[in-house]
Amino acid sequence: MSTTWLPCGNYHQNYVEDHAWWQTKFIKGKMIFLALILFFVIPFFADSYILSVCNLIGYTILGALGVQLLIGFCGQITLGHAAFVAVGAYTSTLLILEFPWPKIILDLGLAYPISIIIAAFTAGIWSVLFGLPSARVKGFYLILTTMAAQFITVDLILTQYVSQIGGRGQAFSLPPGTIKLGPWVIDSDLKVYFMMLFLVILCTIVMANLLRSKVGRAWVAIRDNDISAEVMGINVFKYKLLAFFVAGSIGGIAGAFWISNLAAISPDHFPWFWSLWLVGVILIGGAGSIHGAIFGSLFMVLIMEGLQLAVMPLADTFPKLLMDFLFIKEAAFGLAICAFMIFEPNGIAYRWWQIKNYFNLWPFSY
Amino acid sequence: MDLFLMTIVTGIMVGSIYALVALGWVLIYKCSGVLNLAMGEMTLIGAYVSLSFYSMGVPFLLSLLFSLIIGFVLGILTERIFLDKLIGEPVLTVIMVTVGLSFFFKGIVELIWGTDTQVFTPPVFSIDPIHFGPLVIGRVYLWSFVAAIVLLAIFVSFFKYTRWGLAMQATADDEMAALSLGVSARFVYAMAWAIAFMAAGVGGTLLGNINGLNISVGYLGLLVLPAVVLGGLNSIPGAIVGGISIGILQNLCGAYLDRYFPGAVKEIAPFVFMVIFLFFRPHGLWGWERIERV
Repeated sequence: MSTTWLPCGNYHQNYVEDHAWWQTKFIKGKMIFLALILFFVIPFFADSYILSVCNLIGYTILGALGVQLLIGFCGQITLGHAAFVAVGAYTSTLLILEFPWPKIILDLGLAYPISIIIAAFTAGIWSVLFGLPSARVKGFYLILTTMAAQFITVDLILTQYVSQIGGRGQAFSLPPGTIKLGPWVIDSDLKVYFMMLFLVILCTIVMANLLRSKVGRAWVAIRDNDISAEVMGINVFKYKLLAFFVAGSIGGIAGAFWISNLAAISPDHFPWFWSLWLVGVILIGGAGSIHGAIFGSLFMVLIMEGLQLAVMPLADTFPKLLMDFLFIKEAAFGLAICAFMIFEPNGIAYRWWQIKNYFNLWPFSY
Repeated sequence: MDLFLMTIVTGIMVGSIYALVALGWVLIYKCSGVLNLAMGEMTLIGAYVSLSFYSMGVPFLLSLLFSLIIGFVLGILTERIFLDKLIGEPVLTVIMVTVGLSFFFKGIVELIWGTDTQVFTPPVFSIDPIHFGPLVIGRVYLWSFVAAIVLLAIFVSFFKYTRWGLAMQATADDEMAALSLGVSARFVYAMAWAIAFMAAGVGGTLLGNINGLNISVGYLGLLVLPAVVLGGLNSIPGAIVGGISIGILQNLCGAYLDRYFPGAVKEIAPFVFMVIFLFFRPHGLWGWERIERV
């Protein structure tokens, strides 16, 4: 599913072409066009609302990439990814607020970037810790362990212990100006947007490159049949843990990124709902492709925002509706998952692939 | 010592409610192979339905009966609309449909009944406790225990002695053989969901009587998962033992560990226990150990 059919008469003549990122000039042009839109059109023509929606999409993509890696590529079903996002967010926050940074680092504004890297690492290790049971169990039992990861991390450790650090109780507030990236203070949606763009592109490239290397092929082999993979000489346990590490790291980056968009951080930002939401996103987008994570995030966030915009005008006549929107959103999300699973189990990415191939092979698709 | 005994007894009584809900879960799994994550929300729906009838002035037993009937209908509808089309799909697909269902149910419940805690008014069971020698037990717990035990007995004898129950047992045991003997598998699936919905509804009503009813009762419904893992996914006696053990474990942790780990230890303990248990016996106490072949 990852490969695109080349137009009639185009062949690869050497391995460099075969491994090329963008296999035809058209695809290259298309991607440059996309980059132009992302870097120039959206930032300068969009207002603050659209930018905040874009940031939410980016955050969802970052979270969903990790879930996509675990579920779509390594076959390890996880329902507790919000825990790792939370670990990343909390690590970064604590490092910024509590760690005695040397003055030079503060002056250069390196505290936040360094904390992102440490957050990614911590979240990865935390994720490996809960991936350890995958040596013994799989399928439904692994789902239960990852669920337990969510409850243990967010509801117990973060709520009861980590939130007590500094005597604040419930939430850590992030005063404006705390989050500095080099010389820039991240204080507007536009700056968050550029940071989001950078991180999403970075993580996508890292994922895509991992997937076309030995590691990625090992993951896919484990997903397809772990016993066969072991027989073929893949160290299943090692690669499973590696998958958990990478997924957790990307989750940690997502969390550490998202604190730049928040004024305060509390365990309520990472409920179990969010874990399930991420899984829903990749299933709607299509499991087993990076496109899936991106399309799913776009679809879900845009649908929910659209729903909200549709509900707003009605709110004057039915004031209760605004209050109940959260519940409508939940119910709509549930129905969307069910509908996609029943009618379109391959997700949006599959449809996209079909459309692309239709035009690539047009007019003679046989 | 008294505290210990009290904790154990209360644990058994709450655990019997979990056992009832867990029975419904195991039933669905045994008959149709669906791993259901919507159990918590199913308990919620049943509980709210009976609460609504009760606050309209219907006697408690009658409102429980109504909730059973509505649970039956909803169970069949759920199976027909959502799960019926998924026979033979991969595990993740089916699980995610139940997750979707759980969101859908939860959203609907919140839309209709709101998120505030509601209590059964007037209280169904009087609040003055009953004394058994040194033991002091709340009436709610005692009656819940009795109700759960009676219903467990009814369900078990239903499987043992009635035609439908036997058909369900046959399907759970060997689907192909049951089909060739003329058992309608679709009917059995629908029945399993209906019964699970009913069991969950009763469990939810009883849980709602103990502490009042809000969305977090749905979380209590999630505790069936540790219970069924402990007992083994496809064992009905396992579900009952598992439910009661989880109840005891939860109360013991609440009584003794709360001092050292303040806060949510009561809710988290079953899941921690479950993870540790999975390391040693992934297939539970009485579940079938599945041997995989390539």
